[in-house]
Amino acid sequence: MSLPVLLRCPAGTARLAILLVLVMFNRGAAAAEPDSADVSYRRDIRQILSRAGCNAGPCHGNANGKGGFKLSLRGEDPAADHRALTEEWGGRRIDPFIPTNSLLLLKATATLAHEGGRRFNPNSWEYTSLAQWIASGAIDDSTRAPVLARLEVSPRELVIAAPQTNALIQAIAHFTDGTRRDVTREAVYEPVTADVRALPDGTVERLKDGESVVLVRYLDQQQPVRLAFIPDRPGFNWSGPGPANFIDNHIFAKLRTRQQLPAGDVSDALFLRRLHLDLLGLPPTAPEARAFVRDPSPDKRARAIDAALERPEFADFWALKWSDLLRVEERTLDRKGMIVFHRWIRDAIARNQPLDVMARELVSARGSTYSHPPANFHRANRTPIDRALAVSQVFLGTRLNCAQCHNHPFDRWSQDDYHDWAAVFARVQTKVLRNDRRDENDSHEFSGEQIVFVSSNGEVPNPRTGQSARPRLLGETAPLDPGTDPARDELDALGEWLTRHPQFARVQVNRIWFHLFGRGLVDPIDDFRSTNPASHPELLDALAAESVRSGHDLRHLLRLMLRSRTYQFSSVPDPTAANDEVNHSHTRPRRLAAEPLLDAQARVLGAELQFKGWPKGTRAAQLPGGAPQKEGRKTPTDRFLETFGKPPRLLTCECERSDASTLAQALQLISGPVLHELITRPDNQLARWADPELSPDRVIDDIFWSVLTRPPGPDERERFTRILANSTDRRATLEDFAWALLNSKEFILRH
Amino acid sequence: MNPNSTPRQPTRDQVRHVLNRRAALRVGGLGMLGLTLPGLLHGEIAAKAALRRIAPRARSVIFLFQWGGPSQLETFDMKPDAPEGIRGLHKPIPSNVPGLWVNERLPRMARVMDKVCLVRSVHHTMRNHNSAAYYALTGHAPPLDDIRLKDSQELFPAYGSFVDKLAPSTRPDLPTSVAFPHVISDGSVTPGQHASFLGKQHDPFLVRRDPNAADFSLPELSLPAGIDPARLAARREMMQLVDRQSRLLEHASVAQGLDAHYDKALALLDSEALRNAFQINNEPGPVREGFGRSTYGQSCLLARRLVEVGVKFVTVYFDQSIGGQNTENGGWDTHGFNNTRMFPIIEGRHLPLMDQTLPTLLTDLDERGLLDTTLVLWMGEFGRTPRINGNISRDHWPDCYTVLLAGGGVKRGFAFGASDQHAAYPTEHLVRPDDLAATVFHLLGIDPSTEVRGQGDRPVAISGGRILHEIIA
Repeated sequence: MSLPVLLRCPAGTARLAILLVLVMFNRGAAAAEPDSADVSYRRDIRQILSRAGCNAGPCHGNANGKGGFKLSLRGEDPAADHRALTEEWGGRRIDPFIPTNSLLLLKATATLAHEGGRRFNPNSWEYTSLAQWIASGAIDDSTRAPVLARLEVSPRELVIAAPQTNALIQAIAHFTDGTRRDVTREAVYEPVTADVRALPDGTVERLKDGESVVLVRYLDQQQPVRLAFIPDRPGFNWSGPGPANFIDNHIFAKLRTRQQLPAGDVSDALFLRRLHLDLLGLPPTAPEARAFVRDPSPDKRARAIDAALERPEFADFWALKWSDLLRVEERTLDRKGMIVFHRWIRDAIARNQPLDVMARELVSARGSTYSHPPANFHRANRTPIDRALAVSQVFLGTRLNCAQCHNHPFDRWSQDDYHDWAAVFARVQTKVLRNDRRDENDSHEFSGEQIVFVSSNGEVPNPRTGQSARPRLLGETAPLDPGTDPARDELDALGEWLTRHPQFARVQVNRIWFHLFGRGLVDPIDDFRSTNPASHPELLDALAAESVRSGHDLRHLLRLMLRSRTYQFSSVPDPTAANDEVNHSHTRPRRLAAEPLLDAQARVLGAELQFKGWPKGTRAAQLPGGAPQKEGRKTPTDRFLETFGKPPRLLTCECERSDASTLAQALQLISGPVLHELITRPDNQLARWADPELSPDRVIDDIFWSVLTRPPGPDERERFTRILANSTDRRATLEDFAWALLNSKEFILRH
Repeated sequence: MNPNSTPRQPTRDQVRHVLNRRAALRVGGLGMLGLTLPGLLHGEIAAKAALRRIAPRARSVIFLFQWGGPSQLETFDMKPDAPEGIRGLHKPIPSNVPGLWVNERLPRMARVMDKVCLVRSVHHTMRNHNSAAYYALTGHAPPLDDIRLKDSQELFPAYGSFVDKLAPSTRPDLPTSVAFPHVISDGSVTPGQHASFLGKQHDPFLVRRDPNAADFSLPELSLPAGIDPARLAARREMMQLVDRQSRLLEHASVAQGLDAHYDKALALLDSEALRNAFQINNEPGPVREGFGRSTYGQSCLLARRLVEVGVKFVTVYFDQSIGGQNTENGGWDTHGFNNTRMFPIIEGRHLPLMDQTLPTLLTDLDERGLLDTTLVLWMGEFGRTPRINGNISRDHWPDCYTVLLAGGGVKRGFAFGASDQHAAYPTEHLVRPDDLAATVFHLLGIDPSTEVRGQGDRPVAISGGRILHEIIA
């Protein structure tokens, strides 16, 4: 692991003020002596337009430009920008005879009214350089200018401990002609979070403690600098449990650099609850939990993990996660297709099919959507573009959408990359054998069998070139060549390439990590790019290597993570880590997802759910489809699940499932019909607890263990016992108890 | 990696590196201070700009969305001198504002034109209902003009959701934004009706019930049978006792967030103001009759009652479907399909409904002194073709149509922009839905250039439009 640079400045803030003044003088001096001999359009002017923000998205970089003046977004197309600067409107934007009369300079200095305000001063180096360039003919030196080969920033990672509040980033440009140049004062510095301020000279300043990233941008390249501002903790002493496996080594090492202590160990009861909610989507029953807590054997947690991984509910619950991602929903797949596709996914998980095999079968699938279920992947994603975006997002963790209209601003993907990648799917077609859609106006609805096949033709036009794109795998330079075997086509080649791609394993382990820990090592989990660095890059690579070594064994990877100390941390942070969001110093509580929430309510109340069209007792997590979309057909349980974030599955993105908490959710639980019906159902578990033969103590104990997986505390026992003793309607009182516990944070949150 | 080494002290080289850079920075001349100061302060200025406050002219907005697309030629931009195939069957009548003529089928409207501001040069290029409606409901052009435009996290949220995000209601017992009585759709649910990437917590409070129904009430705002407020209070007390046992509320922001939503939900359940506003039966009979005993009419009355108690953004959808094929239900989409005809349909349904409701709402707000602080926005997703089609009806026409605004700081008895002799294209002051959005936000005191984080954490301005200062009083 490369160690981050740690800065400490004992002199404190007085010295900082002096430093800042010196920074100003320095920049002034530089401006006074511009490198007059060579102001290059490609190197300097382009960068000035970026640095001043002229070509930013909200300004002239907008797809429609601003005020009739359009630049390419972040200067991605310097030739077009040169035309806009020098030729459009008869070249009125520049005045080569009196450069200072150039509209460009008058606007940028707000000498003439400019909606974007003043971007720089007439005595700035930006101004001087622009004026110089205009005076010398405003030439595009595209053939002569050095081409940027590599942007080097240092340091790459920086931990800044109070009282030090700032640091300097240095940027060095390496050009293809072998020259190198310190571009610290020309680069653009862009903080990704609000914790930090970046000044134009490369100074980064603390706004508040925490982890952050500053992007350094120069010409067409950018590099992230990871920053952490930490409070001063003199005498910090690490103490923590011994690592259970390599996961803990990585997590603990980073906590040490941040001077954060890990949380304590979670209790046995809460461990079992957490484990069951994460693997099975259900809390443990009271007898299960009591037996686990009583069990004296030291390896009981490891055994509980193994046992849970073999239960059928595990396959149900993890199939639900994959079904979200693969767009298993009725409107496009129809009921039969939805059922067989879901069953195929669940079966793959139940028999622990290697993840690479599963991925290969999905992307290479052909044939009937009824008799060959994975073919529904191509039915759900109906165009080459949809398929290309889905495959890159789900399996490579790459969001390409930006590159549809312009080169990706935060990644390396160009519009050509985008269209060439989509062209890999150009020949994939679906033959609609029949379509008995119910809603004639709904062009998304398909009802009837379809056959996915690779046609002899099909193309994707590239709007930039006006030609049809040539199939090329993402990130490769050569066009896709399926080989000479006539039985092999681009989908076979794709499947093999995809699952051997180094990114594949990283994305899969990151997704599993996300489902257990609530936050990906790369977050969002489908947005891998150099400008969105992982919180623990080495851990991610180690897990990916482990995935490859194990043959992409889902249960093995889960077992590793679940056995780590990190997974078993309590949710109560150590005071040194109270604000930690990304270092996994403690467990992040999160709201139960829609289906486990409803299933857990039904389970603890002993009341079976009934979904329209499915057998009584089907759990919400077993439903094959997404949230229904037709307003008129929604039942109260549909609305409950939708309110708690069950997605309609229109996107191949985990982000479609909302884990936000909302007002509508609170109203559902307080006064909504679904929970009320479960609580008041006459033959539910409360009816059994209402038996006057049972002692109040026993009943209260049972309710707490069932709902919260713990015994009542002394206050609770005292209070609930008194209420029950004074009750004239035992059943109604038990309903109140159930409501109170089912609405408590401990029940609604997984913690 | 060695987990035992804690890099707490910088190495000598690291210190030297920093010091050298500092030494290097000292090499600078005097007199250049002014030159770089603005650059250095740039960040602070930008931060201040983000906080720039605009005095709100409108406390509330009532957005009357005319789903289906009303004809500009049959409402506020009549062209009696155009050829027969264009001018239509109705004649204009003068209103109480010289020069502002309206359809003869809108006689009551003609008497309140001194309260309104027309924009007759609204233009865009979206010819499909969902794309055009999304544009109208958000002020952002959709990525494609297609019936298949789907709701997604990439699309922009409803106006009301931005208001809830940036200038929420200050009253704990009121939602910021309320929408009713439908969710509109054309094939699939029309985008632009909820919070999208802002997160569900900013969704408008949606009421999908008919305020004209005899038993109109809100189950969400009433407790289930057998649960009275005292029992709910007892339950809540038990819940709080349980919540105190764990330390979740202390440490977990998600727990605190849940608690805040419970507080808000209970405040709403307990909100006299909100419950009363929804007690539309308490409104005197003549007032209810005045608005018209229709779903749309009573929805407009409900909108006024909500604004009266302080709700900031109310959206009323004219109908749930684009309609246009009968006089019983449906919106303004009168193509003459299935052997129907536009003129008898709008004469029998849309124009009378409009003439009963809109003037009543404007007059009512004005009499209560609410019109000055309430912006009423009446618009469809597009207008209709100047050329009358083979069914003696009109098709979709986004190229030029009329939007009506009233109150909330806009000029009264005023028309802005103009169309050509056929009401086909703007001839002056082309206005896009973006500009209307910017103007609405501005009137509410929200800087339209305010940036929020969109999907993928992309910074996006809430509006890319121009504030129509020309129509602001």
